[in-house]
Amino acid sequence: MTELLVKNACVIDPLNKILMEIMDIPVRDGRIVESVSAGADVIDARGCLTLPGGIDSHSHVCGTKVNFGRYMSPEDMRAGRTARRGKMHVTSGYYVPTTYGNSYRYSAMGYTTVLEGAMAPLEARHTHEEFTATPHQDMLANTLFDGNWAIMEAVRAKDIKKAAAIVAWTLSAVKGYSIKLTNPGGTEAWGWGQDLSSIHDMVPNFNVTPAEIITTMIAANELLGLPHSVHLHCNNLGKPGNYRTTLQTFDLVPDTNNGRQTLYATHVQFHAYGGTTWRDISSKADDIARAVNAKPQIVMDMGQIMFGRTMTMTADGPMEFNLYCLHHNKWSNHDVELETGSGIIPVLYSKKSLVNCVMWAIGLELALLTKNPYQCLLETDNPNGAPFVKYPEIIGLLMSKRYRDEECATLNGGTEQRTALSALDREMDWNEIAIMTRAGQAKALGIDAQGKGHFRTGAEADIAIYPIRCRDVDPTTEYRKVIEGFQKTMYTIKRGRVVARDGDVIVEGANSTFWVNPVVPDDLNVASDPEFVKKFEEYYTVRMGNYPVQDVYLPRGKCIRTEAAL
Amino acid sequence: MRVILETKQRKKPFLPIEAETIIPRNFLKGPALTVFEGNKERLLSDLFWIFVEGTAVSPDKVEVILKGDTARIKRVGEYMDTGTIRIQGDIGMHCGNFMSGGVIEISGNADAWLGREMLGGSIICYGNAGHYCASGYRGEKHGMKGGRVEVMGDAGDFCAEYLTGGEVHIHGSCGDMAGVEMKGGQLIIEGDATRPCGNMKDGTCMIFGTVHHMLPTFEKIDTKKLPDRDGTVVVYKGDVANRGKGILMIKKPLVGETIS
Repeated sequence: MTELLVKNACVIDPLNKILMEIMDIPVRDGRIVESVSAGADVIDARGCLTLPGGIDSHSHVCGTKVNFGRYMSPEDMRAGRTARRGKMHVTSGYYVPTTYGNSYRYSAMGYTTVLEGAMAPLEARHTHEEFTATPHQDMLANTLFDGNWAIMEAVRAKDIKKAAAIVAWTLSAVKGYSIKLTNPGGTEAWGWGQDLSSIHDMVPNFNVTPAEIITTMIAANELLGLPHSVHLHCNNLGKPGNYRTTLQTFDLVPDTNNGRQTLYATHVQFHAYGGTTWRDISSKADDIARAVNAKPQIVMDMGQIMFGRTMTMTADGPMEFNLYCLHHNKWSNHDVELETGSGIIPVLYSKKSLVNCVMWAIGLELALLTKNPYQCLLETDNPNGAPFVKYPEIIGLLMSKRYRDEECATLNGGTEQRTALSALDREMDWNEIAIMTRAGQAKALGIDAQGKGHFRTGAEADIAIYPIRCRDVDPTTEYRKVIEGFQKTMYTIKRGRVVARDGDVIVEGANSTFWVNPVVPDDLNVASDPEFVKKFEEYYTVRMGNYPVQDVYLPRGKCIRTEAAL
Repeated sequence: MRVILETKQRKKPFLPIEAETIIPRNFLKGPALTVFEGNKERLLSDLFWIFVEGTAVSPDKVEVILKGDTARIKRVGEYMDTGTIRIQGDIGMHCGNFMSGGVIEISGNADAWLGREMLGGSIICYGNAGHYCASGYRGEKHGMKGGRVEVMGDAGDFCAEYLTGGEVHIHGSCGDMAGVEMKGGQLIIEGDATRPCGNMKDGTCMIFGTVHHMLPTFEKIDTKKLPDRDGTVVVYKGDVANRGKGILMIKKPLVGETIS
């Protein structure tokens, strides 16, 4: 039995409506408890800001495409080099760091749970191996279903139960957490050399539309009762004028779940462009935010970009090809048989570029215009918009109008005409930031039930103590202190164990991987459906028996069983 | 001020020394510097006999002389901005990385990555240079951006890869793929080259020896008499496969071709 007492903590816990109360947090065996004995280890937080461990609800840190990003950017490995020190492994890289680099930097910022944004089911083993090597964060994997042939056939047959059964089998086979749709149908069309320009275009050879895929998957997701909703990367990412597609997509979403949203729309900044070409691109953040304000069933994340060099990586192959046509830099496209694809290309977001400045402003506008912070979460789609180490700066921008104005003054002069950012006076408070970085994520991902993102008794003792005295700091003017404070925790506590102190990791990590096993009735189990098995054996290059990820790949896997309403 | 560093006998003479601290500016405050031998940090005086002659008020007056078994000393002159380094013998990899000013003189051979991503100053090597002479680091899109590299002997493969500015002059021959991905600057090869200038975007390359395996993606545009040179050169533009606007001049006729 190990006990720990965090004393004099200035706690903000939005899910329990605790706002800047000085209190003690007792921890026993990795869980928050009512009280601990007098012999417990004591950490004195000295009145500093104490939050539940940070949660990143959309980040690309593990898996084949991240690794290919590393592979094609040897020059990035010159940045961020740290030598082996104490329990810390060597790390290197800035926008595509080594797995330990990711893990340590997240830990230093107080993040304890990360959702990998896109895992191709066929390449799940690699993702899980990298999860094991990201030892300080609990990991979850979004599983890609956007171009899954079996799913699209079920969609064409309008058979929601079949789609749900395929999702259930695949999630439990590859140890995934939730359904991710990346440019649904579009990546499959791209595999045939075509592209879709609206959610009502037909996917070649399958005669289904992205809209049908989205509605069917939402229905299947709710049938299975998965903890997270459908996680959607809308069609037409990064095309001027794409806000119409986004709004049309939002209109498809029913409000069918009382506990959480029915759709998680990710990196919406990339989907909120007006205009017709790059020359007349403008911000349509207010249209998007208005739609989200009116639809409590939707949660989005910012997908904020920050200026500097980074790498875009997504399962959205055609979009990466379009980016390549702009940059003429090294690039890659990849097809995952029967399932999805991906693309990778390095980019440089520059303050001189009007397009980049507009993108930067749109992300902030989205956050500031969305009334309920639970509906717009703070993300950069790491590393697509910016590496996650930029989160503190984004917090600074959201909390301080002055900082935004100072930054705006350094941007391309045309930015102000294309966006409404300078007219927005809203300055987020500490509670809203806590929601946008942990409580909102916990709720959206449905892991508050697993004890994440709050300090209720029985919750996992993931605690981040930041060297900020929020009563003494005025974030609207002293934003530098806020940024510095959020960059390095005094203590990051993971499951009751201090893992990082003043930015240095001090223990070997032992994370868990959460995965979902939706239980479906036997007659719907696709593994015993001869037609599914026949097609699987016929089309895949792997045998169905070899497809599921063995338990050995998840040394500390945590299975969440859900009962399907089938 | 002249600092002479003469190598001492080492127990393991094949272990490389990482000597990015050996730049003239650092010797202004005396030779109390450290370098890495393998993974061990050592005092400079552990590895070298150090002789200091005279004093200097500014780093540009500092001259560093390396003597003895210097072939495994790496990264000498990294980020050097002024002053002089003379190497009496061979030098290890990555000599003159990112250097922005000053002079490096090598009387022997240089190993790979000589003058990688250099910004200014000049390097002269009287022997041969290894692979990736005056190039960019792997994956880096802009290699050498300024300054001058002159090699009296031959250079290895990928000489002046991603050359973006400055001048590279090889008096001997180059290996495979000299000047590939060039984006600017000038590359002069007095000897032979194989498959030069693939995917060239801009800049000028002159080859006065024989070109083996010339790429078919260069467009012949002119013949020209160069000042201070005998005979004429054929001028090619390319690499047209990727809309390149580089200029490649070749003196000797390609196989099966006569210069009109």
